Amino acid sequence: MAFLKILFDNLRKGPATEAFPFGEAATPDAYRGKVTFDETNCVGCNMCEHVCAGGAIRFSEQEDGLHFLIWHNTCISCGLCAHYCPTKAIKLSNDWHLSHLQEEKYEQVDHAVVPYRHCTSCGERLQPGGPMLHQLAFKGTNPRSQRLMNMCPDCRRKASYSGEAL
Amino acid sequence: MKSFEMPVGPLHVSLEEPMYFRIDVEGEEVAGIEITAGHVHRGIEYLTAKRNIYQNLALIERVCSLCSNSHPQAYCMGLEKIAGIEVPERAQYLRVIADEIKRAASNMFNVAILAHIVGFESLFMHVMEAREIMQDTKETVFGNRMDLAANVIGGVKFDIAEDRIAYVIAQLNRLEPILVKEIIPLYETNSSILSRTRGIGLINRDQCIDYGLMGPVARGSGYAYDVRSAAPYAVYDRLDVDVITYPDGDVWSRAMVRLKEVVEAIRLMRLCLRELPEGPLTSGPLPFIPAGEAITKVEAPRGELIYYLKTDGTDIPARVKWRVPTYMNWDALEVMMVGGRISDIPLIVNSIDPCISCTER
Repeated sequence: MAFLKILFDNLRKGPATEAFPFGEAATPDAYRGKVTFDETNCVGCNMCEHVCAGGAIRFSEQEDGLHFLIWHNTCISCGLCAHYCPTKAIKLSNDWHLSHLQEEKYEQVDHAVVPYRHCTSCGERLQPGGPMLHQLAFKGTNPRSQRLMNMCPDCRRKASYSGEAL
Repeated sequence: MKSFEMPVGPLHVSLEEPMYFRIDVEGEEVAGIEITAGHVHRGIEYLTAKRNIYQNLALIERVCSLCSNSHPQAYCMGLEKIAGIEVPERAQYLRVIADEIKRAASNMFNVAILAHIVGFESLFMHVMEAREIMQDTKETVFGNRMDLAANVIGGVKFDIAEDRIAYVIAQLNRLEPILVKEIIPLYETNSSILSRTRGIGLINRDQCIDYGLMGPVARGSGYAYDVRSAAPYAVYDRLDVDVITYPDGDVWSRAMVRLKEVVEAIRLMRLCLRELPEGPLTSGPLPFIPAGEAITKVEAPRGELIYYLKTDGTDIPARVKWRVPTYMNWDALEVMMVGGRISDIPLIVNSIDPCISCTER
């Protein structure tokens, strides 16, 4: 009989479920959803590819830059890539709207290119560090570090030693 | 009396997991039982030796959905032991919170299923709705309802900031009165529940020790073994865990142990949130794991979970092996079921809270 009171209370409270799809479903900030990638901050360390449990992330080096590929259908939203990314270029968004038609299953891919730069001194191809890495390593940038940032390691060493980048 | 053999399973015996029993029946009574295992073997232990230590974090979490935090926790503890990594104190507290929140949700799920098998659907709904408070909390704090992805090697990868602490406590405040004032008294006094669960699936303390039983099954028979107090890990040694036991060893006692453990889990979470020290969440960026071996154990919602790890200096483990509580609990069904009635089989199976995907991995 004690349950009758609970039943009555529950009846009075109305539906406990969310009104989705007719209303908005609450999504918390910490929700681990679709992966987003920011090519300006990627430093090409490939750690996200290394830790990706499902093998959803792939990098390939091509002429124009480092190509990043994520297969959203293979991603299990574990968040390891975001955790181990030193510059937080890869993140998990709150977007959980991942349903799609069967024929679109091979299109659930995001592609981005982290373009190579050329050394301002010798023209050698180089992988840019990105602003976030500089923020992490030097707690900010100044005109000198920005000039050095666009040089290959060899030229940077020379410029730094001779003081020409000052 | 006519005797015959009856197949039970392999699908949906009590939970939606495959178990297959061949049961010798005499009239209404179970005379003998043969257990056939191996329906969801996926070769996960083998796969762990094909993936690196980071990928294994996510793989091991997916061995089982209900104890999905205990597996990575034991695994991380093993690697930390091998590498001599000191886990920061804040991370230790957060690990306990992740552990207890999963225990609360897992135990409530099992107890809800009990009501479902009894045929008390409205109670099933009520317990599941109360459990939903914990599910929402997990989604808000960890980002997912089941797979918390809380542990990384050397710490945790989630944080509970000040405003979140207030939120979690508010959620616990919502759940506790429903549990203590409504759900537990119902399971203690409701005649439908009592008539179907009392004196059924009996196993005594000595048989529990003989079979090496673990967790709420053993504690429901008065055997007070709990890893959290017997061999404390993380910060359980400071929390003074109350080991809940019931003396009778029937289906009802096991359900009551689980319900009381949810209350205890709420207390432990509150304690951790209050004591939560400041500090880093992980011990450092990337650990080097030398060659070595380690054995660790944690208290999963179903009992003692043991991990054995062997590494060879690379970041791919040489061997990861685990022993889950359901392995022994499952075997003890032959004690619990014999002499019982056919109609009680699902209840008895559910009372061990079987986790077949853990056991067969």
